[in-house]
Amino acid sequence: MNWKKELEEKLNREKLSEKLGGEDRIKRQHDSGRYTIRERIDILCDNSSFHEIGKIAGNAIYDKDNDLINFTGSNFIFGKAKIDGRNIVVGGDDFTLRGGSADASIREKHLKCEEMALSLKLPLIRIVEGSGGGGSVKTIETTGRANVPEVEGWNLVVESMGTIPRVALGLGSVAGLGAAHLACSHYSVMVKEKSAVFVAGPPVVEQIGQKLTKNELGGYKIQLKSGAVDEAVDTEEEAFNAAKKFLSYLPNSVYELTDRLESKDDPNRSAEWLIEAIPKDIKSVYKIRPIIEELVDKGTFFEIGKEYGKSIVTGFCRLNGWSVALMASDPYSYGGCWTSDTCKKVQKFVDLAETFHLPIIYLVDCPGFQVGLDAEKKGTIKEGVRAMSAIWQTKTPWMSIIIRNCFGVAGAAHKRGSSYISRCAWPSARWGSLPLEGGIEAAYRSEIENSSDPKAELEKINVRLNKLRSPLRSAESFWIEEIIDPRNTRKIMCDFADLSAPLRTIGITSRTMRP
Amino acid sequence: MIFSEVSGTISSILVSKNQIVDKETDLLIIECMKMLIPVVSEKRGKVVDIFVKEGDLIEEGDKLLEINHH
Repeated sequence: MNWKKELEEKLNREKLSEKLGGEDRIKRQHDSGRYTIRERIDILCDNSSFHEIGKIAGNAIYDKDNDLINFTGSNFIFGKAKIDGRNIVVGGDDFTLRGGSADASIREKHLKCEEMALSLKLPLIRIVEGSGGGGSVKTIETTGRANVPEVEGWNLVVESMGTIPRVALGLGSVAGLGAAHLACSHYSVMVKEKSAVFVAGPPVVEQIGQKLTKNELGGYKIQLKSGAVDEAVDTEEEAFNAAKKFLSYLPNSVYELTDRLESKDDPNRSAEWLIEAIPKDIKSVYKIRPIIEELVDKGTFFEIGKEYGKSIVTGFCRLNGWSVALMASDPYSYGGCWTSDTCKKVQKFVDLAETFHLPIIYLVDCPGFQVGLDAEKKGTIKEGVRAMSAIWQTKTPWMSIIIRNCFGVAGAAHKRGSSYISRCAWPSARWGSLPLEGGIEAAYRSEIENSSDPKAELEKINVRLNKLRSPLRSAESFWIEEIIDPRNTRKIMCDFADLSAPLRTIGITSRTMRP
Repeated sequence: MIFSEVSGTISSILVSKNQIVDKETDLLIIECMKMLIPVVSEKRGKVVDIFVKEGDLIEEGDKLLEINHH
């Protein structure tokens, strides 16, 4: 007398659950170059580490004697797993069953997945395909009534944005609630040409007169530029690796700190070419990414949101083994001026670093906010003050290194006024309320006009003022604390990371971040 | 197709139609926010068409050049 028979039935149900939406649907998934959800979890997670919860929750069919005829699992699969030896929670949609929609889902599984990650204080990776548990038009018929829309469990999603790292991978067509899950994350990834993300797909959009393909409507080029998604890669394997890499810089939750990794890169390493990295011609631009790569521990810079708000480059890096959030101006985009999108990007990135207690380093080359009609139409100043407020609200250790321009209100946002920051500048730094180039002619109009040689007079004024704006003159009056040799910048940044490490404090921030 | 990432004025065009360009070649220069910003080719290819001329005011997203990478 034992319970083997019952266990056999359980195993049988588990086997049926593994069949997902059936052979034809699985073949269709594979034919379109996509893995099934079970294959995805296998590839993403460490070998045999996936402990599924609710595997036999689904739809059963019984005969008249109440014996099981068939069983289909729910189209949302989740559980605990390990990636790179570290515990996580993973949940994903099974597109082979009703396209991942709520018709074939069990709502409580979605909620339990969110609750599990939040309660166990573990990172959550959501693999999204389809409507992510949202409804479809057919839902009205399957349920026999129309539902008043609600997103049950969104409170868990909101709370987890301020508590645990959330990564979302959109690996096919993602719409409605699925798109919401992708957007509501700290880091999101699509697969080029195979993923598309939209509030509603092409058939719905056609009803408002827009005849577009999936790619034209919500392909990676659209969603990366819009900032709805952070990254696009060529394969699902690359998406899994991106998720792992992103998480490697973060703690399991805000109640932990990221471990230091042993670094083989000398923290005192200098770089000769940095003395000439910034052109003397102020109209010429330079590439910021090689500078970043030079300064951080070799090969550790992990850029986030490369195609969005491009005047600022944001990403994680390691400095002497410590995990640090780094942002840097990119003069190739609007000369480094903060556009409306740049401001939104800064808000999210600064909030992300603050949430997970990463020190922030900012390499500053900001001539100000973008100016002009387009900038005004996009509400640049409104987003600008939101970005400034996010910066002012940080408490995490902060270092700013002014490498070139620092002008106006946006320039001032290199420094929170609320508490101490470490700050220094390269000799190429220039600053002020407005760049001189913007107003010499207007400010000195009468001097220039009354001169017998206006051109020579303008040049004379230029030379006179240029001497005044030397960063050394500002250092005289301690407007800037220190002018450093660019070649030694890495040492200064590593020192900052070392000094910041014991200052990091665990816990939830008073104002938890929004996606 | 290469679209403009910024709004500004076409300061100079550095390539001509049918020219083969290498990866990382400066194709044209846009003056934007008083800076001279090069538009760079991402891959090697042939310049098939140029849609702008020097002095043109351009908006973000405007077509600049078409390069055939095959």
